[in-house]
Amino acid sequence: MSAALDRFEVLEQIDSLQQAYVQALDSAKMEDWLNCFSQQQASYVCISDENEKRGLPIALMLDDCRERIKDRVSFVTKIWVGTFEPYRTTHFVQRLDVEKIATDTYRQVSNFCIMISPEMGSSDVLATGRYHDLVAVEHGKAVFREKRAIYDSRILPRYVVYPF
Amino acid sequence: MSANESSGAISRDLIWPNQINRIPKEIFGDPAIFDMELDRIFYGPEWHMVGHLAELPERGDFKTFDIGRRPILIARGQDGQVRTFYNACTHRGTQVETSVCGNRKSFDCPYHQWSFDTDGALVGCPGEKEFTPGFAKANYGLRELRMEEFRGLIFVTASRDTQPLQEWLGEIAAPLTDILGGDGKLRLLGYHKVTYASNWKAYNDNDGYHAPLLHSAFRMLHWQGGKGRQIATQNGHNAIEAELSLAKGNSFLSDPSLIEFKGEDPKQGSRVVQLFPLAVATKHLDTINLRFAIPRSVGSTEVHYAYFGLESDSQEMLHHRVRQSSNLLGPCGMISMEDASIFQRVHLGTFTPGNVEFQKGVKRTDEFWFDFKQNDEASFLLKWEHYRKVMDFERRQEA
Repeated sequence: MSAALDRFEVLEQIDSLQQAYVQALDSAKMEDWLNCFSQQQASYVCISDENEKRGLPIALMLDDCRERIKDRVSFVTKIWVGTFEPYRTTHFVQRLDVEKIATDTYRQVSNFCIMISPEMGSSDVLATGRYHDLVAVEHGKAVFREKRAIYDSRILPRYVVYPF
Repeated sequence: MSANESSGAISRDLIWPNQINRIPKEIFGDPAIFDMELDRIFYGPEWHMVGHLAELPERGDFKTFDIGRRPILIARGQDGQVRTFYNACTHRGTQVETSVCGNRKSFDCPYHQWSFDTDGALVGCPGEKEFTPGFAKANYGLRELRMEEFRGLIFVTASRDTQPLQEWLGEIAAPLTDILGGDGKLRLLGYHKVTYASNWKAYNDNDGYHAPLLHSAFRMLHWQGGKGRQIATQNGHNAIEAELSLAKGNSFLSDPSLIEFKGEDPKQGSRVVQLFPLAVATKHLDTINLRFAIPRSVGSTEVHYAYFGLESDSQEMLHHRVRQSSNLLGPCGMISMEDASIFQRVHLGTFTPGNVEFQKGVKRTDEFWFDFKQNDEASFLLKWEHYRKVMDFERRQEA
Protein backbone atom coordinates (compact mmCIF):
# COMPACT_ATOMS: atom_id res chain seq x y z
CA MET A 1 0.00 0.00 0.00
CA SER A 2 1.37 3.45 -0.84
CA ALA A 3 2.15 5.94 1.96
CA ALA A 4 -0.43 8.35 0.54
CA LEU A 5 -3.18 5.74 0.66
CA ASP A 6 -2.11 4.72 4.16
CA ARG A 7 -2.38 8.32 5.34
CA PHE A 8 -5.76 8.67 3.66
CA GLU A 9 -7.09 5.67 5.58
CA VAL A 10 -5.76 7.02 8.88
CA LEU A 11 -7.38 10.40 8.29
CA GLU A 12 -10.62 8.70 7.35
CA GLN A 13 -10.61 6.73 10.60
CA ILE A 14 -9.84 9.82 12.66
CA ASP A 15 -12.52 11.86 10.90
CA SER A 16 -15.05 9.07 11.41
CA LEU A 17 -14.31 9.12 15.13
CA GLN A 18 -14.72 12.88 15.28
CA GLN A 19 -18.02 12.58 13.39
CA ALA A 20 -19.27 9.90 15.77
CA TYR A 21 -18.32 12.19 18.67
CA VAL A 22 -20.21 15.14 17.19
CA GLN A 23 -23.24 13.00 16.36
CA ALA A 24 -23.35 11.59 19.88
CA LEU A 25 -23.34 15.04 21.50
CA ASP A 26 -25.63 16.74 18.98
CA SER A 27 -28.22 14.01 19.48
CA ALA A 28 -27.61 13.91 23.27
CA LYS A 29 -26.76 10.18 23.17
CA MET A 30 -24.36 10.07 26.09
CA GLU A 31 -23.68 6.31 25.79
CA ASP A 32 -22.48 6.90 22.23
CA TRP A 33 -20.25 9.70 23.56
CA LEU A 34 -18.77 7.27 26.09
CA ASN A 35 -18.13 4.73 23.32
CA CYS A 36 -15.86 7.21 21.52
CA PHE A 37 -13.29 6.69 24.30
CA SER A 38 -10.80 3.87 24.72
CA GLN A 39 -11.66 0.98 27.01
CA GLN A 40 -8.06 0.78 28.18
CA GLN A 41 -6.99 4.32 28.92
CA ALA A 42 -9.23 7.33 28.56
CA SER A 43 -9.48 10.92 29.68
CA TYR A 44 -11.73 13.86 28.86
CA VAL A 45 -10.82 17.39 29.94
CA CYS A 46 -12.67 20.59 29.09
CA ILE A 47 -10.71 23.65 30.22
CA SER A 48 -10.71 27.40 29.60
CA ASP A 49 -7.96 28.90 27.49
CA GLU A 50 -7.28 31.27 30.42
CA ASN A 51 -6.53 28.46 32.88
CA GLU A 52 -4.60 26.53 30.21
CA LYS A 53 -2.36 29.50 29.32
CA ARG A 54 -1.72 30.38 32.97
CA GLY A 55 -0.89 26.78 33.85
CA LEU A 56 -3.83 26.61 36.28
CA PRO A 57 -5.13 23.03 36.46
CA ILE A 58 -8.82 23.65 37.26
CA ALA A 59 -11.01 22.44 34.39
CA LEU A 60 -14.71 22.89 33.67
CA MET A 61 -14.93 19.12 33.32
CA LEU A 62 -12.11 16.83 34.43
CA ASP A 63 -12.55 13.14 33.75
CA ASP A 64 -9.13 11.56 34.07
CA CYS A 65 -10.23 7.92 33.77
CA ARG A 66 -12.95 5.94 32.02
CA GLU A 67 -14.88 5.59 35.29
CA ARG A 68 -15.14 9.36 35.56
CA ILE A 69 -16.38 9.57 31.96
CA LYS A 70 -19.02 6.97 32.83
CA ASP A 71 -20.03 8.99 35.89
CA ARG A 72 -20.49 12.08 33.71
CA VAL A 73 -22.90 10.06 31.55
CA SER A 74 -24.82 9.07 34.70
CA PHE A 75 -25.05 12.68 35.88
CA VAL A 76 -26.42 13.93 32.59
CA THR A 77 -28.81 11.04 32.01
CA LYS A 78 -29.92 10.24 35.59
CA ILE A 79 -29.07 12.78 38.28
CA TRP A 80 -29.65 16.10 36.52
CA VAL A 81 -32.79 15.03 34.66
CA GLY A 82 -35.58 17.56 35.14
CA THR A 83 -33.37 20.24 36.68
CA PHE A 84 -32.08 22.01 33.57
CA GLU A 85 -33.74 23.65 30.58
CA PRO A 86 -33.37 21.32 27.58
CA TYR A 87 -31.05 22.49 24.82
CA ARG A 88 -29.44 21.00 21.76
CA THR A 89 -26.05 21.68 20.27
CA THR A 90 -24.61 21.74 16.78
CA HIS A 91 -20.87 21.14 16.59
CA PHE A 92 -18.67 22.26 13.71
CA VAL A 93 -15.22 20.69 13.74
CA GLN A 94 -12.31 21.51 11.46
CA ARG A 95 -9.25 19.26 11.48
CA LEU A 96 -6.01 21.28 11.58
CA ASP A 97 -3.23 18.80 12.18
CA VAL A 98 -2.57 15.08 12.57
CA GLU A 99 0.75 13.68 13.68
CA LYS A 100 1.71 10.03 14.10
CA ILE A 101 3.50 9.57 17.41
CA ALA A 102 3.67 5.74 17.63
CA THR A 103 2.20 2.70 15.95
CA ASP A 104 -1.54 3.21 15.60
CA THR A 105 -1.35 6.33 17.80
CA TYR A 106 -1.91 9.90 16.62
CA ARG A 107 -2.10 13.39 18.01
CA GLN A 108 -4.69 15.56 16.31
CA VAL A 109 -5.72 19.18 16.69
CA SER A 110 -9.06 20.57 15.47
CA ASN A 111 -10.97 23.81 15.80
CA PHE A 112 -14.48 23.55 17.18
CA CYS A 113 -17.48 25.82 17.23
CA ILE A 114 -20.51 24.76 19.24
CA MET A 115 -23.85 26.42 18.56
CA ILE A 116 -26.56 26.12 21.18
CA SER A 117 -30.30 26.06 20.53
CA PRO A 118 -32.34 26.29 23.73
CA GLU A 119 -35.88 24.93 23.61
CA MET A 120 -37.10 28.50 24.05
CA GLY A 121 -34.95 31.06 22.27
CA SER A 122 -32.74 31.40 19.25
CA SER A 123 -29.46 29.73 18.36
CA ASP A 124 -26.22 31.26 19.56
CA VAL A 125 -22.56 30.44 19.99
CA LEU A 126 -21.95 28.39 23.14
CA ALA A 127 -18.20 27.99 22.73
CA THR A 128 -15.34 28.02 20.28
CA GLY A 129 -11.91 26.50 20.79
CA ARG A 130 -9.62 23.64 19.95
CA TYR A 131 -9.61 19.91 20.54
CA HIS A 132 -6.22 18.42 21.35
CA ASP A 133 -6.71 14.67 21.04
CA LEU A 134 -4.73 11.50 21.42
CA VAL A 135 -6.31 8.95 19.10
CA ALA A 136 -5.45 5.24 19.03
CA VAL A 137 -6.57 2.52 16.66
CA GLU A 138 -7.69 -0.31 18.91
CA HIS A 139 -9.15 -3.51 17.40
CA GLY A 140 -9.36 -1.80 14.03
CA LYS A 141 -11.33 1.17 15.36
CA ALA A 142 -10.14 4.68 16.21
CA VAL A 143 -10.91 5.81 19.78
CA PHE A 144 -9.91 8.72 22.00
CA ARG A 145 -7.35 8.02 24.67
CA GLU A 146 -7.30 11.70 25.53
CA LYS A 147 -9.64 14.45 24.48
CA ARG A 148 -8.84 17.97 25.65
CA ALA A 149 -11.35 20.68 24.70
CA ILE A 150 -9.83 24.14 25.28
CA TYR A 151 -12.51 26.83 25.00
CA ASP A 152 -11.65 30.42 24.08
CA SER A 153 -14.20 32.54 25.88
CA ARG A 154 -13.06 34.26 29.08
CA ILE A 155 -16.63 34.12 30.35
CA LEU A 156 -18.97 31.25 29.50
CA PRO A 157 -22.32 32.63 28.32
CA ARG A 158 -24.37 30.26 30.53
CA TYR A 159 -24.33 27.04 32.53
CA VAL A 160 -23.34 23.83 30.78
CA VAL A 161 -24.82 20.33 30.88
CA TYR A 162 -23.24 18.43 27.98
CA PRO A 163 -19.52 17.97 27.31
CA PHE A 164 -17.90 20.13 24.60
CA MET B 1 -34.28 61.25 52.01
CA SER B 2 -37.44 59.26 51.45
CA ALA B 3 -37.78 56.53 48.86
CA ASN B 4 -40.08 58.78 46.88
CA GLU B 5 -37.64 61.67 46.67
CA SER B 6 -34.68 59.54 45.77
CA SER B 7 -36.13 57.36 43.11
CA GLY B 8 -39.00 59.24 41.56
CA ALA B 9 -41.02 56.90 39.41
CA ILE B 10 -39.38 53.79 40.82
CA SER B 11 -40.94 53.70 44.20
CA ARG B 12 -44.16 55.54 43.42
CA ASP B 13 -45.86 52.24 42.67
CA LEU B 14 -43.59 49.94 44.65
CA ILE B 15 -45.30 48.34 47.60
CA TRP B 16 -42.89 46.68 50.01
CA PRO B 17 -45.29 44.61 52.10
CA ASN B 18 -45.57 44.96 55.84
CA GLN B 19 -45.51 41.17 56.07
CA ILE B 20 -41.77 40.57 56.43
CA ASN B 21 -41.63 37.26 54.54
CA ARG B 22 -42.77 38.92 51.29
CA ILE B 23 -40.39 40.61 48.83
CA PRO B 24 -41.86 42.57 45.89
CA LYS B 25 -40.93 40.91 42.60
CA GLU B 26 -40.53 44.15 40.69
CA ILE B 27 -37.21 44.96 42.38
CA PHE B 28 -35.58 42.17 40.32
CA GLY B 29 -36.35 43.49 36.86
CA ASP B 30 -36.41 47.29 36.99
CA PRO B 31 -33.37 48.95 35.33
CA ALA B 32 -33.90 52.15 37.35
CA ILE B 33 -33.70 50.18 40.58
CA PHE B 34 -30.53 48.52 39.28
CA ASP B 35 -28.92 51.95 38.80
CA MET B 36 -29.97 52.93 42.29
CA GLU B 37 -28.41 49.74 43.66
CA LEU B 38 -25.10 50.60 42.02
CA ASP B 39 -25.07 53.98 43.77
CA ARG B 40 -26.32 52.93 47.16
CA ILE B 41 -24.85 49.45 47.51
CA PHE B 42 -21.97 48.84 45.11
CA TYR B 43 -20.56 52.38 45.34
CA GLY B 44 -21.92 52.84 48.85
CA PRO B 45 -20.79 51.96 52.39
CA GLU B 46 -20.30 48.19 51.94
CA TRP B 47 -17.12 46.13 51.57
CA HIS B 48 -16.71 44.21 48.31
CA MET B 49 -14.62 41.04 48.10
CA VAL B 50 -12.58 41.44 44.92
CA GLY B 51 -9.72 39.00 45.25
CA HIS B 52 -7.34 36.97 47.38
CA LEU B 53 -3.63 37.58 47.88
CA ALA B 54 -2.96 34.10 46.45
CA GLU B 55 -4.11 35.40 43.07
CA LEU B 56 -1.19 37.84 42.93
CA PRO B 57 1.71 36.25 44.81
CA GLU B 58 4.65 37.99 43.05
CA ARG B 59 5.72 41.62 42.96
CA GLY B 60 4.23 43.25 39.87
CA ASP B 61 1.33 40.76 39.70
CA PHE B 62 -2.06 42.30 39.02
CA LYS B 63 -5.70 41.41 38.50
CA THR B 64 -8.46 43.53 36.99
CA PHE B 65 -12.05 43.36 38.14
CA ASP B 66 -15.17 45.55 38.23
CA ILE B 67 -17.30 46.89 41.05
CA GLY B 68 -20.58 47.49 39.33
CA ARG B 69 -19.55 49.42 36.21
CA ARG B 70 -16.33 50.74 37.73
CA PRO B 71 -13.17 48.99 36.50
CA ILE B 72 -10.54 48.38 39.19
CA LEU B 73 -6.92 47.28 39.15
CA ILE B 74 -5.51 45.26 42.05
CA ALA B 75 -1.71 45.23 42.00
CA ARG B 76 1.15 44.00 44.14
CA GLY B 77 3.74 46.75 44.00
CA GLN B 78 7.49 46.25 43.74
CA ASP B 79 7.47 46.98 47.49
CA GLY B 80 5.36 43.83 48.07
CA GLN B 81 2.25 45.80 49.11
CA VAL B 82 -1.10 45.04 47.47
CA ARG B 83 -3.21 48.06 46.55
CA THR B 84 -6.45 48.60 44.63
CA PHE B 85 -6.93 51.46 42.17
CA TYR B 86 -9.60 52.63 39.79
CA ASN B 87 -8.42 51.29 36.44
CA ALA B 88 -8.51 54.67 34.73
CA CYS B 89 -5.79 57.10 33.77
CA THR B 90 -5.81 60.23 35.94
CA HIS B 91 -5.38 62.31 32.78
CA ARG B 92 -8.29 61.68 30.39
CA GLY B 93 -9.83 58.67 32.09
CA THR B 94 -8.65 55.96 29.68
CA GLN B 95 -8.78 52.39 30.99
CA VAL B 96 -5.12 51.71 31.81
CA GLU B 97 -4.84 47.91 32.08
CA THR B 98 -6.85 45.70 29.71
CA SER B 99 -5.61 42.22 30.69
CA VAL B 100 -7.44 40.06 33.22
CA CYS B 101 -4.19 39.40 35.04
CA GLY B 102 -0.45 39.39 34.53
CA ASN B 103 2.80 40.89 35.76
CA ARG B 104 4.01 44.42 34.97
CA LYS B 105 6.94 46.69 35.76
CA SER B 106 4.62 49.67 35.21
CA PHE B 107 1.08 50.43 34.03
CA ASP B 108 1.15 52.50 30.88
CA CYS B 109 -1.70 54.41 29.34
CA PRO B 110 -1.33 54.21 25.54
CA TYR B 111 -3.29 57.42 24.84
CA HIS B 112 -0.69 60.06 25.93
CA GLN B 113 1.93 57.71 27.39
CA TRP B 114 1.28 58.48 31.03
CA SER B 115 3.05 55.81 33.02
CA PHE B 116 2.28 54.59 36.55
CA ASP B 117 4.46 52.62 38.91
CA THR B 118 3.13 49.35 40.36
CA ASP B 119 2.40 51.31 43.55
CA GLY B 120 0.19 53.66 41.53
CA ALA B 121 2.54 56.67 41.45
CA LEU B 122 2.67 58.68 38.22
CA VAL B 123 6.25 58.40 36.95
CA GLY B 124 6.00 59.65 33.40
CA CYS B 125 3.83 62.14 31.47
CA PRO B 126 5.36 63.53 28.25
CA GLY B 127 5.05 67.31 27.71
CA GLU B 128 4.82 68.08 31.41
CA LYS B 129 6.33 71.60 31.00
CA GLU B 130 3.23 72.75 29.15
CA PHE B 131 0.74 71.42 31.71
CA THR B 132 -1.31 73.60 34.06
CA PRO B 133 0.78 75.89 36.30
CA GLY B 134 1.79 74.08 39.46
CA PHE B 135 1.19 70.61 37.97
CA ALA B 136 2.81 67.98 40.21
CA LYS B 137 3.06 64.28 39.37
CA ALA B 138 2.50 63.49 43.04
CA ASN B 139 -1.12 64.60 42.68
CA TYR B 140 -1.82 62.35 39.72
CA GLY B 141 -1.17 58.82 40.91
CA LEU B 142 -3.81 56.17 40.10
CA ARG B 143 -6.77 56.81 42.35
CA GLU B 144 -6.65 54.32 45.21
CA LEU B 145 -9.67 52.69 46.85
CA ARG B 146 -9.97 52.04 50.56
CA MET B 147 -8.84 48.47 51.06
CA GLU B 148 -8.64 45.99 53.94
CA GLU B 149 -7.56 42.36 54.09
CA PHE B 150 -8.97 39.46 56.02
CA ARG B 151 -7.10 36.12 55.90
CA GLY B 152 -5.72 37.14 52.53
CA LEU B 153 -9.13 38.18 51.19
CA ILE B 154 -9.04 41.61 49.57
CA PHE B 155 -12.00 43.88 50.33
CA VAL B 156 -12.46 47.36 48.92
CA THR B 157 -15.01 50.11 49.37
CA ALA B 158 -15.72 53.36 47.59
CA SER B 159 -17.08 54.98 50.74
CA ARG B 160 -15.30 56.62 53.66
CA ASP B 161 -18.29 55.79 55.83
CA THR B 162 -17.93 52.01 55.62
CA GLN B 163 -17.25 50.56 59.07
CA PRO B 164 -13.92 48.72 59.67
CA LEU B 165 -13.88 45.34 57.91
CA GLN B 166 -13.67 43.19 61.05
CA GLU B 167 -16.72 44.98 62.46
CA TRP B 168 -18.57 44.64 59.15
CA LEU B 169 -17.86 40.88 59.06
CA GLY B 170 -18.98 40.44 62.67
CA GLU B 171 -19.90 36.86 63.57
CA ILE B 172 -19.18 35.74 60.01
CA ALA B 173 -15.43 36.17 60.56
CA ALA B 174 -15.20 32.77 62.30
CA PRO B 175 -16.79 30.55 59.60
CA LEU B 176 -14.96 32.57 56.94
CA THR B 177 -11.67 31.86 58.69
CA ASP B 178 -12.48 28.14 58.72
CA ILE B 179 -13.19 28.13 54.97
CA LEU B 180 -9.81 29.77 54.36
CA GLY B 181 -7.89 27.08 56.22
CA GLY B 182 -7.43 29.16 59.38
CA ASP B 183 -4.65 31.48 58.27
CA GLY B 184 -5.75 32.23 54.69
CA LYS B 185 -2.48 30.96 53.22
CA LEU B 186 -3.86 29.65 49.95
CA ARG B 187 -2.61 28.56 46.57
CA LEU B 188 -4.62 29.47 43.45
CA LEU B 189 -5.73 26.45 41.38
CA GLY B 190 -7.84 28.14 38.70
CA TYR B 191 -11.16 29.63 37.70
CA HIS B 192 -14.59 28.99 36.25
CA LYS B 193 -16.07 32.18 34.80
CA VAL B 194 -19.65 32.43 33.64
CA THR B 195 -22.52 34.81 33.04
CA TYR B 196 -25.92 33.95 34.46
CA ALA B 197 -29.01 35.46 32.87
CA SER B 198 -30.30 36.60 36.20
CA ASN B 199 -30.58 39.66 38.39
CA TRP B 200 -27.77 39.68 40.99
CA LYS B 201 -30.25 39.37 43.85
CA ALA B 202 -31.88 36.25 42.37
CA TYR B 203 -28.39 34.74 41.97
CA ASN B 204 -27.58 35.66 45.54
CA ASP B 205 -30.79 34.33 47.10
CA ASN B 206 -29.49 30.76 47.03
CA ASP B 207 -30.69 29.52 50.42
CA GLY B 208 -30.11 26.41 52.51
CA TYR B 209 -33.69 25.17 52.07
CA HIS B 210 -33.20 24.28 48.42
CA ALA B 211 -30.02 22.24 48.80
CA PRO B 212 -31.35 18.75 49.60
CA LEU B 213 -34.44 19.27 47.42
CA LEU B 214 -33.06 20.66 44.18
CA HIS B 215 -29.81 18.72 44.20
CA SER B 216 -30.56 15.09 43.38
CA ALA B 217 -26.86 14.40 43.76
CA PHE B 218 -27.18 15.09 47.49
CA ARG B 219 -29.75 12.33 47.77
CA MET B 220 -28.07 9.85 45.49
CA LEU B 221 -24.74 10.33 47.19
CA HIS B 222 -26.42 10.21 50.62
CA TRP B 223 -25.14 13.63 51.55
CA GLN B 224 -28.03 14.99 53.48
CA GLY B 225 -29.05 14.57 57.07
CA GLY B 226 -25.88 16.03 58.55
CA LYS B 227 -26.20 18.28 61.54
CA GLY B 228 -25.50 21.93 61.10
CA ARG B 229 -26.26 25.51 61.96
CA GLN B 230 -26.89 28.83 60.33
CA ILE B 231 -25.84 32.35 61.31
CA ALA B 232 -27.38 35.49 59.83
CA THR B 233 -26.37 39.05 60.64
CA GLN B 234 -28.38 42.27 60.60
CA ASN B 235 -26.13 43.75 57.92
CA GLY B 236 -27.06 41.01 55.47
CA HIS B 237 -24.43 38.28 55.84
CA ASN B 238 -25.16 34.59 56.24
CA ALA B 239 -23.22 31.42 57.06
CA ILE B 240 -24.30 27.77 56.91
CA GLU B 241 -22.20 25.01 58.43
CA ALA B 242 -23.13 21.36 58.00
CA GLU B 243 -21.78 17.89 58.42
CA LEU B 244 -21.25 15.94 55.24
CA SER B 245 -21.43 12.26 56.01
CA LEU B 246 -20.71 10.17 52.96
CA ALA B 247 -22.31 6.78 52.65
CA LYS B 248 -19.83 3.93 52.70
CA GLY B 249 -19.71 1.55 49.76
CA ASN B 250 -21.40 4.08 47.52
CA SER B 251 -22.51 2.16 44.48
CA PHE B 252 -23.72 5.00 42.34
CA LEU B 253 -20.40 6.41 41.22
CA SER B 254 -17.94 4.30 39.23
CA ASP B 255 -15.17 6.49 40.65
CA PRO B 256 -16.06 7.41 44.25
CA SER B 257 -12.52 8.73 44.85
CA LEU B 258 -13.70 12.03 43.40
CA ILE B 259 -15.85 12.81 46.43
CA GLU B 260 -13.51 11.49 49.10
CA PHE B 261 -12.96 13.76 52.05
CA LYS B 262 -9.25 13.84 52.77
CA GLY B 263 -9.09 17.00 54.81
CA GLU B 264 -9.45 17.59 58.52
CA ASP B 265 -12.55 18.58 60.48
CA PRO B 266 -14.99 16.03 59.00
CA LYS B 267 -17.68 17.29 61.37
CA GLN B 268 -17.96 20.43 59.28
CA GLY B 269 -17.67 19.15 55.74
CA SER B 270 -19.73 21.90 54.22
CA ARG B 271 -19.57 25.64 54.84
CA VAL B 272 -21.16 28.44 52.86
CA VAL B 273 -20.61 32.11 53.67
CA GLN B 274 -22.52 34.84 51.84
CA LEU B 275 -21.47 38.44 52.35
CA PHE B 276 -23.76 41.32 51.44
CA PRO B 277 -24.23 42.18 48.70
CA LEU B 278 -22.75 39.54 46.42
CA ALA B 279 -19.67 37.65 47.63
CA VAL B 280 -19.65 33.93 48.43
CA ALA B 281 -17.01 31.72 50.04
CA THR B 282 -17.55 27.97 50.36
CA LYS B 283 -15.87 24.80 51.38
CA HIS B 284 -17.48 21.50 50.43
CA LEU B 285 -15.40 18.42 51.28
CA ASP B 286 -11.91 19.46 50.08
CA THR B 287 -13.06 22.12 47.62
CA ILE B 288 -12.23 25.70 48.66
CA ASN B 289 -14.08 28.19 46.49
CA LEU B 290 -14.41 31.98 46.43
CA ARG B 291 -17.03 33.57 44.16
CA PHE B 292 -16.35 37.08 42.96
CA ALA B 293 -19.38 38.45 41.18
CA ILE B 294 -20.22 41.50 39.08
CA PRO B 295 -23.77 42.77 38.48
CA ARG B 296 -23.51 43.48 34.73
CA SER B 297 -27.07 44.64 34.15
CA VAL B 298 -30.49 44.23 35.66
CA GLY B 299 -30.73 40.76 34.09
CA SER B 300 -27.12 39.62 33.92
CA THR B 301 -24.62 38.60 36.60
CA GLU B 302 -21.04 37.55 35.96
CA VAL B 303 -19.51 35.09 38.42
CA HIS B 304 -15.84 34.19 38.76
CA TYR B 305 -15.47 30.97 40.74
CA ALA B 306 -11.88 30.86 42.03
CA TYR B 307 -10.57 27.59 43.49
CA PHE B 308 -7.75 27.20 45.98
CA GLY B 309 -5.63 24.71 47.85
CA LEU B 310 -3.66 25.39 51.01
CA GLU B 311 -0.03 26.47 50.80
CA SER B 312 0.77 23.52 53.05
CA ASP B 313 -0.91 20.92 50.79
CA SER B 314 1.06 17.91 49.54
CA GLN B 315 1.13 17.28 45.78
CA GLU B 316 -1.32 14.42 46.32
CA MET B 317 -3.76 16.70 48.16
CA LEU B 318 -3.51 19.37 45.46
CA HIS B 319 -4.20 16.76 42.79
CA HIS B 320 -7.25 15.61 44.73
CA ARG B 321 -8.49 19.19 45.18
CA VAL B 322 -8.13 19.89 41.45
CA ARG B 323 -10.14 16.79 40.50
CA GLN B 324 -12.85 17.47 43.05
CA SER B 325 -13.09 21.24 42.56
CA SER B 326 -13.27 20.98 38.78
CA ASN B 327 -16.22 18.64 38.92
CA LEU B 328 -18.13 19.58 42.07
CA LEU B 329 -18.95 23.28 41.64
CA GLY B 330 -19.29 25.95 38.97
CA PRO B 331 -21.46 26.25 35.87
CA CYS B 332 -21.15 22.52 35.14
CA GLY B 333 -20.68 21.21 38.69
CA MET B 334 -22.18 17.98 39.99
CA ILE B 335 -23.90 19.87 42.80
CA SER B 336 -24.30 23.31 41.28
CA MET B 337 -25.34 23.07 37.64
CA GLU B 338 -28.98 23.01 38.78
CA ASP B 339 -28.53 26.24 40.76
CA ALA B 340 -27.48 27.99 37.58
CA SER B 341 -30.62 26.85 35.82
CA ILE B 342 -32.76 28.03 38.73
CA PHE B 343 -31.19 31.54 38.81
CA GLN B 344 -32.48 32.23 35.32
CA ARG B 345 -35.91 30.76 35.98
CA VAL B 346 -36.34 32.77 39.17
CA HIS B 347 -35.35 35.89 37.27
CA LEU B 348 -37.91 35.29 34.53
CA GLY B 349 -40.61 34.47 37.06
CA THR B 350 -40.12 37.77 38.87
CA PHE B 351 -41.61 39.65 35.92
CA THR B 352 -45.03 38.34 37.00
CA PRO B 353 -47.02 40.48 39.47
CA GLY B 354 -46.90 40.08 43.22
CA ASN B 355 -44.35 39.04 45.81
CA VAL B 356 -41.68 36.43 46.34
CA GLU B 357 -42.63 34.39 49.42
CA PHE B 358 -40.41 32.96 52.14
CA GLN B 359 -41.90 30.09 54.16
CA LYS B 360 -39.38 27.58 55.54
CA GLY B 361 -38.50 28.54 59.08
CA VAL B 362 -40.68 31.67 59.14
CA LYS B 363 -41.86 31.81 62.76
CA ARG B 364 -43.76 35.08 62.50
CA THR B 365 -44.41 37.71 59.89
CA ASP B 366 -44.47 40.94 61.90
CA GLU B 367 -40.94 41.14 63.30
CA PHE B 368 -37.47 39.62 63.00
CA TRP B 369 -35.69 37.01 65.08
CA PHE B 370 -32.12 35.73 65.02
CA ASP B 371 -31.96 31.96 65.49
CA PHE B 372 -32.23 29.80 62.40
CA LYS B 373 -32.01 26.12 61.62
CA GLN B 374 -29.51 24.91 59.02
CA ASN B 375 -32.06 24.56 56.22
CA ASP B 376 -34.25 27.59 56.97
CA GLU B 377 -34.77 30.03 54.12
CA ALA B 378 -36.05 32.53 56.68
CA SER B 379 -32.49 33.59 57.54
CA PHE B 380 -32.35 35.51 54.27
CA LEU B 381 -35.07 37.85 55.50
CA LEU B 382 -32.43 39.73 57.52
CA LYS B 383 -30.49 40.32 54.32
CA TRP B 384 -33.64 41.55 52.61
CA GLU B 385 -34.38 43.89 55.49
CA HIS B 386 -30.86 45.34 55.23
CA TYR B 387 -31.36 45.78 51.47
CA ARG B 388 -34.72 47.47 51.97
CA LYS B 389 -33.26 49.92 54.46
CA VAL B 390 -30.22 50.75 52.30
CA MET B 391 -32.54 51.31 49.32
CA ASP B 392 -34.93 53.33 51.44
CA PHE B 393 -38.05 51.46 50.35
CA GLU B 394 -40.88 52.02 52.79
CA ARG B 395 -43.09 49.20 53.98
CA ARG B 396 -46.75 49.66 53.13
CA GLN B 397 -50.00 47.86 53.56
CA GLU B 398 -50.78 45.70 50.53
CA ALA B 399 -54.01 46.55 48.73
